Amino acid sequence: MKAPTWVQSVFDRYLICEFTSIDNGKPVTFPLLFFYDNNPPRFAVTSSILFSRKIEHMKKNPKVSLLFSNPEGSGVEKHVVLVQGIAKCDDSDLDHGWERYLPMWRKKEPYIDGFLAARDQFAWFWKRIVVEIEPKKILAWKNGDTSKPAEAINL
Amino acid sequence: MEERRHLQTRGGNQPLTTLGLIDPDRLSLFRYGIVTWIDTDGFPFSVATDFILSENGEILLKKPSVPATMTRGRVGVLFNHITGIPTGGYTDRRYMLVWGTVSEDKGFLKLRPEEVSEWDEKILPFDKLCAAAVPQGKRYLESIQPSIDA
Repeated sequence: MKAPTWVQSVFDRYLICEFTSIDNGKPVTFPLLFFYDNNPPRFAVTSSILFSRKIEHMKKNPKVSLLFSNPEGSGVEKHVVLVQGIAKCDDSDLDHGWERYLPMWRKKEPYIDGFLAARDQFAWFWKRIVVEIEPKKILAWKNGDTSKPAEAINL
Repeated sequence: MEERRHLQTRGGNQPLTTLGLIDPDRLSLFRYGIVTWIDTDGFPFSVATDFILSENGEILLKKPSVPATMTRGRVGVLFNHITGIPTGGYTDRRYMLVWGTVSEDKGFLKLRPEEVSEWDEKILPFDKLCAAAVPQGKRYLESIQPSIDA
C-alpha cells in the first residue's frame, strides 16, 4: 500500500476505529479496538461472543468499513481515514485464536494483562472471534477536514 | 477495552428532545458525530463531521464533502467518547448511536432520529454490561455448536 506517512501513522498509532457492519441493510457502527499489519495491509478486530451480533451480520454480509477519526490517546494529530473492506470471521478457536493479537493489544492497552489475570472470572468475554479485513478502498481526509474532498489511497 | 453495547433503546424515561428519543444533555457532551450509510457499491461509508443542537432540539450535522447518497436512505450516526490515559490505553467510554434519516436544511444535514442505542460505562459498568450480554453469548455458542461437534 502506498500511503502517505500521515495515513500510515493513523493505522499504526490510533487506538480505536469506528467499525460498521450491515444488519439487513442497516449500518451498525461501534467503536472498536483494532490491529493493523502492513505486510500485506490487513486490519483485524476481535469480538467476544458476548458482543457477537456484528459477527452474525458479517457472516451474512462481509462488507464492512472502519473509520479512523479519533486520535485520543495516540499522540497523533487528527486525521480521518475510511477503509472499506471484506471481513472474514474465524471462530474456529474461540479460546486461543485471538491470542496472536495480544502483543499488539498490550501496546494499545497496557492494563490488559490485569484483565487477563481474571480470565476465569470473565470466561465468556475471553471467548473471542477474530475478524480480518481485507481493504478494498481507502479514502483519507488530512487534518480531519471532511468538508474537503477525500484523498484516495492506492492499495 | 473492547466494543461497547446496548444500554437502552427507543425512548426511556430520560429527559427528551422534542424528537422524543435523545437526551440533549448527554448528546451535547460529544464533540462530533460519525455518519454512516450504505453506499451504491453496497459498502458502508462513514464520515466524521461536527454537529450542533438547535434550540428546538434538532441535530444539525455539518455537511461533509462526500457523495450525496447519504440522503437517500437510513443513516446511523455514532457519537463516541474516550479519554486517553497518559500511561497508555483509554477510559471514560461512552457512545450514543442514533439511526434515522437526514435531509438538507440551510447548509446543514438535519438528522431525524428513529432509534437510539447507547452506553456509558459510568452508568453501566463494563462487568455489568458483560453480564447483561450473556444471552447473546449463549446464542452464539449454540449457533456454532454443530461445526464444533463435526
